[in-house]
This record gives sequence, structure tokens and C-alpha cells, in this order.
Amino acid sequence: MHHRTDRVLAEFEAMLGALVPAAAKALGKAIVALDQGARLYPRARGRRLTQLDDETAEAYVRAWLARPGSGGELVRRIRSLVVMCYYELPPVQREIGYQPAPYIEAVSRRRLASYGPQIRAGEAAVTAGIPDAGPGLS
Amino acid sequence: MKGLTTQAEVPGDLRLDCDTVIVGSGAGGATMAVELAEAGLDVIVLEEGGYHPTESFTAQSVRALRTLYRDGGGGMALGRPSVLFAEGRCVGGSTVVNGGMSWRTPARVLKRWSERDGVLDIGEQDLDPFFARAEARHSTGLQDPETIGRDSQLMRAGAQARDWEVVPNRRNQLHCAGTNNCNNGCPTGAKRSMLVTSVPRALALGARLFADCRVDQVTRAGRAVTGVTGHFVRPGGGQGPRLTVRARTVVVAGGALQTPLLLARSGLGSGPLGRNLSLHPNTTVTAFFDEDVTGWQGVHQAFQVREFMTEGLILTATNLPPPTLAALLPAYGRELGELMADYNRIVTAGPLVEDTGTGRVRHLPGLGTQVFYQLTAADAARMVRGVKLTAEALFAAGARRMLLPFHGAPEVRSPDQLRSLLARPVPRRSIQAYSIHLMGTARMSEDPRRGVTDSYGAVHGVPGLFVADASLFPGPTGINPMETVIALAMRNARRLIDRRPAG
Repeated sequence: MHHRTDRVLAEFEAMLGALVPAAAKALGKAIVALDQGARLYPRARGRRLTQLDDETAEAYVRAWLARPGSGGELVRRIRSLVVMCYYELPPVQREIGYQPAPYIEAVSRRRLASYGPQIRAGEAAVTAGIPDAGPGLS
Repeated sequence: MKGLTTQAEVPGDLRLDCDTVIVGSGAGGATMAVELAEAGLDVIVLEEGGYHPTESFTAQSVRALRTLYRDGGGGMALGRPSVLFAEGRCVGGSTVVNGGMSWRTPARVLKRWSERDGVLDIGEQDLDPFFARAEARHSTGLQDPETIGRDSQLMRAGAQARDWEVVPNRRNQLHCAGTNNCNNGCPTGAKRSMLVTSVPRALALGARLFADCRVDQVTRAGRAVTGVTGHFVRPGGGQGPRLTVRARTVVVAGGALQTPLLLARSGLGSGPLGRNLSLHPNTTVTAFFDEDVTGWQGVHQAFQVREFMTEGLILTATNLPPPTLAALLPAYGRELGELMADYNRIVTAGPLVEDTGTGRVRHLPGLGTQVFYQLTAADAARMVRGVKLTAEALFAAGARRMLLPFHGAPEVRSPDQLRSLLARPVPRRSIQAYSIHLMGTARMSEDPRRGVTDSYGAVHGVPGLFVADASLFPGPTGINPMETVIALAMRNARRLIDRRPAG
């Protein structure tokens, strides 16, 4: 499980890197605030989010997710990013029956077997009529 | 690769000359590049995103969001509700990550643009030759039957059980394999995006394309444009070498958000610039079936329910990969895990609304790009109606329970429960709204007070400056906008070629 957590964090960090700096910075600050803000949550008894047991942590996060306004919106965005990163992990996808790679491979083969000549003709048409076009982009 | 240069190949500042510089390589920019290069013009295309070839595309959707989309696909138009939107940012633009749907602009929309907005030469008879040319270039047609997935079949069955009109989708595809990977980049090249059609054709014709290159400004001498300045973007976002391109013609095709922002920071464009944003808000019903649906097997969006198009509504089933679905579901922790455990029994479907409201994009000092959009009460009502109709179709197809895209809405388990729930008003702000069709922020009109460009994409009062993307639309198309963008780019390129100054 720790391995998964590490991989989720790695995905999350990479995703933050893809955001505009201002958004990444805002989310970073929101994460710190979410963690430290738990100290004010009565059931947390002064502890940070990362120090809470699962049940209390879930209750605390749920309370934030239900809040209207920009604070709740930021936490909902963090939650969306985290679950996206979690469900990007291949073992998690396997557990829910999502294994696209072999499927893609199989239907790609079927496509070429069924329509090879038409596909090649269509691809060649991209540079039709251009002398010395050479290989195009793929 | 002949004609393509990425940031890694640029050691120092560059100064280049050409006839026409095009900002953006999506549906509008790449089409313009081909048309102008075929006419013998020396063309340079500048693309802010990276070059990602077909072989690099996988089913890893978060990776795709990071590499092929602007800001990780997480744009947000602020309003009540806010609307999440995504824009492609890569060589080929949004055509690399869209569903490939290719529809001619409806006649009633063209009529409106002509009669209400005063756009010239925009009738069906004017555009038909360009639609035909666009469809031929991108192999537009119907899916091979073996590629239709179960989720699409169920949506069609439910709609047909209610006697609604359903049409097979027309898509840019060359015997699409049905990998259902459109939004991550087509791994077979069957989707005929700009990446595998107009971009390579333009390069073969001698155009030059610079990827990873962000344009900062359009430059001018007096009123007329003289080119652009920009810089290459290093991995991680750092600023690389500077680029200066001198050209007598500049075509801006960065999409309905980036185009007005570039014009505005260049001190160009008139009052309507950045306003009039339409975005075809859409939303998603999540339906659970008893049977295995495996919606990720089969083409992305095989059909559209057109029964309610006169009301401005299209319904369709679109499978979402696990990361995206998990992000949208109104659940957390164990509850989310239980919902996702049924992933293969889920159909996601929903309405797309031809919106009547408009929004605005602008750059605010200290805050950066801000997009504002307020869903009107009428459009919100149509979204709710679209959700109801979608859910009715899915119940008719055998769905057992559904999650509706309204914050706080309970799960519904029967058509009666659905009717009862939706008999009460749905707060507008509770609607989960999304968009992938951004349009209208540099709209065409012969009247400079109403439009940023004339009827052919030429920016009013700035000789040599053109727009070639969905910014041009005077209003929403009510259907997938890609073919309209391509056809307008072809039409406007012809005008540009015919009217360019000699020498």
C-alpha cells in the first residue's frame, strides 16, 4: 500500500508540474492549509491531517468537500487530482477490470487485417501530388 | 523530421522571415498552413505545445492530460456553477485529443450568422465546397460496425425504445479501430487529426513548424502587422531561446481563449475581443447496469440522439477512463471505491447544450488568465432537461441506478424516482458542468463594433492580421465545431490568397 501511496504522490507531483505556476502554487498552499487546518477540527484534537486515523481523517476531508465557497472548491480540486492519480495506477485499473493495452493491441491488429490496403491508400493520400514528400509525421 | 523543429533543437535565439506566420497548429492553423503552402507561400507555424507522435500515445489518461493538454486539462470558467474545460496543447492542437466528430454547421446556424450577425457569404451553398474538401482530407465517415461499443449500443437502444431520432456519428477516421483512446491521442493514427493530415501535408509542401514555441506578441509597424515574437519553452516550463519571425501576414489560431489573449497583449482588436464566449456546456449521468458493459471497448461516441436538437440539446454516451470518472463521481474514500468497483458496468452519457449565455476571457494583472461564464437560467433548465432525458433513455435500456450530475442529489433507482426528484427545482449552482468546445471570442461581423474580424477572419483595422479558429464563430454551432473551423479556414485562406498584395 505504501508503494501505491508513493506512486500516487509521484503522479500528483507530475500533475502539479503541468499546471500554470499560479494554480500549482495555490494548490500547494491549499494542501498545507488542509493538513494544518485539521488542528482546528474538533475531532482531531490538535493533530494535523497526516496524523489522524483513517476515520477521523475521512470525516475531516468530507466536511471540507461539503463546504461551499473557494475553500471547499480548492479541496474538491485536490480530491479530484488525487483520485485521478490513484486510478491512473495500473494495479488499481486491473482491480476494476480496466486493461486497455491488450485490447488496443488486438483491435489495432484487427483493423490492419481487415482494411490494410484502404488504410495505406488513405495514409498515402496525405502527401499525394507532392514530389519528394518523403516520410511524414506520425 | 523535415520541417519540424522542437525546442531541443534550438540552441540560441532565432530570427526568421516568411510570407505568413501561423500561431497554432490545430484545426484552423494547420488547415491554413496547408492551404497557403499549396498556393506557394512560405509558411511558418508556431505551436506552443510539444510534438507527440502517434507511437507515443497510450491509455494513460493522466499522462495525456499532462502532455497533450493546457494546464493538465484543468481549466475553469468561473461562475455559478463554474465550468471545467479542457484545451489541447500539442502539435495538432485539440484535434489530437477530441473525439473526431465531424459535422457540417447546421443550416439554421449559418442562417443566424448571416441574418442576425451580418456575416457575408456564409450560406450552405458558400460553405458546401469547403465542407466537402474538409471531409475528403480527413476521411470523414461512419464507423465500421465491429467498432461500436456496448455503451453506445445501450444508449441507442434506450433512445430508440422511446422513439427518439438517433444518428450514427460522422467522424474523421480511416477505419477507426475503436480503441476508445481518442482523448489520450489515437494510438493507431486512424483518427485523422491535424497531426497526421494537414500538418504533415503542410510540411511536405515546404512549411516549417516550430513546436514548444510560445508567441508573446504580434508585432506591428504603423497599423500593419510585421510578424511575431515569442520564445521556446524548455521542459518544466522554463524560458528558452527567443524567436522573432518577420512576416507580412499573421494568422492567429490559438483557440477561443489563447487567440483573444494574444491579440489583447499585442494591443490589437476591438471592444468585442474576449467577449461572446460560448462553450456548449455538457454534463454526465452515470448509469449502472447489471450486465458487463466494458464501455472502454469500442469507439468513443458512436451515436448522437438528435431528437431534441431544435431545443439545443444533443445526447450521447461517452465512456470516461477510470481517472476521469473517479474525479467526477460525487464520492470519496470507501464509497468511491465501491462505485469504481462497478466500472465495467457503468455507462456515462449526457447532454450537450447549445448555449444562449456568453462569457469572457481576459488577462488580469497578478491573476493571469481568467475565464468568466455564467450559465443562464434557460441553459441551466435545458441541462436539467437533458439530464432527465438521458436518464430516461438509460433506464429504458436497462440501467438499475444512476448518479445525476447535481451536487447533493441522491442516487435514483427508477424513472418514477427520477421524475419526482426533478419535479423540484435544481439549483443552478449545483450542476456539474464541463466544456470542450470554446467559441466566439473574436467573432466575425462586418460591423467593427460587433465583430473583431470581418466575414473572412481579417481583423478590423489591422492589415495583414487574421484569425482562424473557433474564436470567429458569432455564436455556438450546436454541434461539434471542428468541421466548421476547418471549412472556415479553407474559405478564408482562399480569400487571403486571392487578395494578397503582389510581390
